[in-house]
Amino acid sequence: MRWNLVYSIVVIIVLGIIWIFPVYSLILGSIKSLSEVMNTPIYVPPKQVDLTTIAEVANELKIPLANTAIVVIPVAVLSTVFGMLAAYAIIRRQSKLSDTLMLLVAIATYTPYQALLVPFVQIVRSFGLYNTLPGIALGFLIYYTPMAALLMVIFMSVIPRDLIEAAVVDGAGEFSIFRRVVLPVLGPGIVSTLIFILIVSWNNFFIPLILTRGYNKFITLKIFSYVGQSGTFYNRMFAAALVGSLPPLIIFIFLGRYFMKGLMALGTGTKA
Amino acid sequence: MQMSLKMFFVFFLPALVFGALLYYGVFWNIYIALTNYSLLHPVPEFTGLYSFMVLFNDYEFQMAFERTMLWVAVLVVLGNIVGLLIATAIFQLENPKLRNALTAFFVYPMSLSMIVVGIMWRWIFDPYKGIDVVLKGLGIGSIDWLTGYNAFWSLSLVSVWVYAGFSAMLYLAAFYNVDRSIIESAMVDGADTFTIMTRIVIPNSRQGLLISTIFLALFAIQMFALPYAVLFLNPFTETMVMYVYNKFVSQYFFLASAAAIIIIVVSAFIVIPYAMYGLKKWIVRR
Repeated sequence: MRWNLVYSIVVIIVLGIIWIFPVYSLILGSIKSLSEVMNTPIYVPPKQVDLTTIAEVANELKIPLANTAIVVIPVAVLSTVFGMLAAYAIIRRQSKLSDTLMLLVAIATYTPYQALLVPFVQIVRSFGLYNTLPGIALGFLIYYTPMAALLMVIFMSVIPRDLIEAAVVDGAGEFSIFRRVVLPVLGPGIVSTLIFILIVSWNNFFIPLILTRGYNKFITLKIFSYVGQSGTFYNRMFAAALVGSLPPLIIFIFLGRYFMKGLMALGTGTKA
Repeated sequence: MQMSLKMFFVFFLPALVFGALLYYGVFWNIYIALTNYSLLHPVPEFTGLYSFMVLFNDYEFQMAFERTMLWVAVLVVLGNIVGLLIATAIFQLENPKLRNALTAFFVYPMSLSMIVVGIMWRWIFDPYKGIDVVLKGLGIGSIDWLTGYNAFWSLSLVSVWVYAGFSAMLYLAAFYNVDRSIIESAMVDGADTFTIMTRIVIPNSRQGLLISTIFLALFAIQMFALPYAVLFLNPFTETMVMYVYNKFVSQYFFLASAAAIIIIVVSAFIVIPYAMYGLKKWIVRR
């Protein structure tokens, strides 16, 4: 065997164990009975699978899960659509103005939104949306719309100019060019942006934390509430974390390549 | 032929509304930072740079600033090293499907909420239910992962676990871009894989190092949910964002805003050059 494969396998196995260990413990810990939780470390598999904790916690998570879906799905769709329209404008008009707007979009995407805590709360309050689901959605849209616009510019920049130019020469209007020329080839870019924003907004903790009170309006807040109240019963905490992470994890497992494309685009600024 | 200015605004309008709110927030933040707006002064009065004077003299802020910068250093150094290890390992494999699957596997922590990450690792660090039980069994003795200053190091390692896969992904992208013909001619000359990796592939992947460093630094500057989930508002793991949050909750709005300006300024040093550089790539002039 060649030494580089040995290196490869050793690194992948050693780091692979470290990478899988937390989720492995999370799953085991969620399906243990109370007596085993009291007596065994997190990584020891249960003698008997006990699903009562998961069922109990899943029931408690119903409302926050529904609320999160109600916020996150429209946010992902709207920011993707708005981003797509903005990106088309940027691609179709090249001037100092569109360059400046593009630069502002990029800076907005990469600057830590956590720094805007005080004004975010102020803006959402001034619309009378503090402590409401639309308020969380507004907070997300302010931050994720520029990000979607940036992603869409990156995905659109590879569409051949000639395609668009030909449609312009044919006398097609902007909306019809957008619909008939750009949209059909943009499918994977749209899915990537949608999936990426869906996952990152589902996992967001900071924005719902500052824009609401209590724990029931967003899943990450609800998961966090178990940290304080469960004491040493890690099974309840683990079950909440597991159930609350299932939607993004399932999306990642089946549509991970789109999430990776989104990450790659944001990272390198090019379509992978 | 270009789009008309009118149509440009029709298409750009929805994004402009939200973008404008975001930048309004930035300017509002600057304004508040120049006042004494707080629970004691509910009507903001202009006080110039007073808030920054208070901020820089606040021991809590000094510690939060230092700790955040240290977090940046740890995440940038270790994140790059681990990312490079993973990328090099995956790069040796021939099967592109296996490469992609493994890359996704190492990126998966990023698809979890930091709250969930925090809960998992909080228990791994637990002295009675966590990894210490194994260490004791091996005769190494237990480590107080979350006591005092140790907590900072433990949590910064967790952040490496979260983001190293992302770094690996960026390195791999750079590796794939290295000219195959250079590698092949080296192989013809009889160079072994080690030489090819250390002399050709890695030195030609500076792009990966640069981008990975930029993003790891940005991720560290934003650190909030992870320490918050594990230790709540522990003084040993308070970051700059946590300081902003603290001051907001205790209604010292001018201090929260002033600290937020510092975060924005620090990130601007990283973000603005990167965005200018990206702009050249995104907008191809014809």
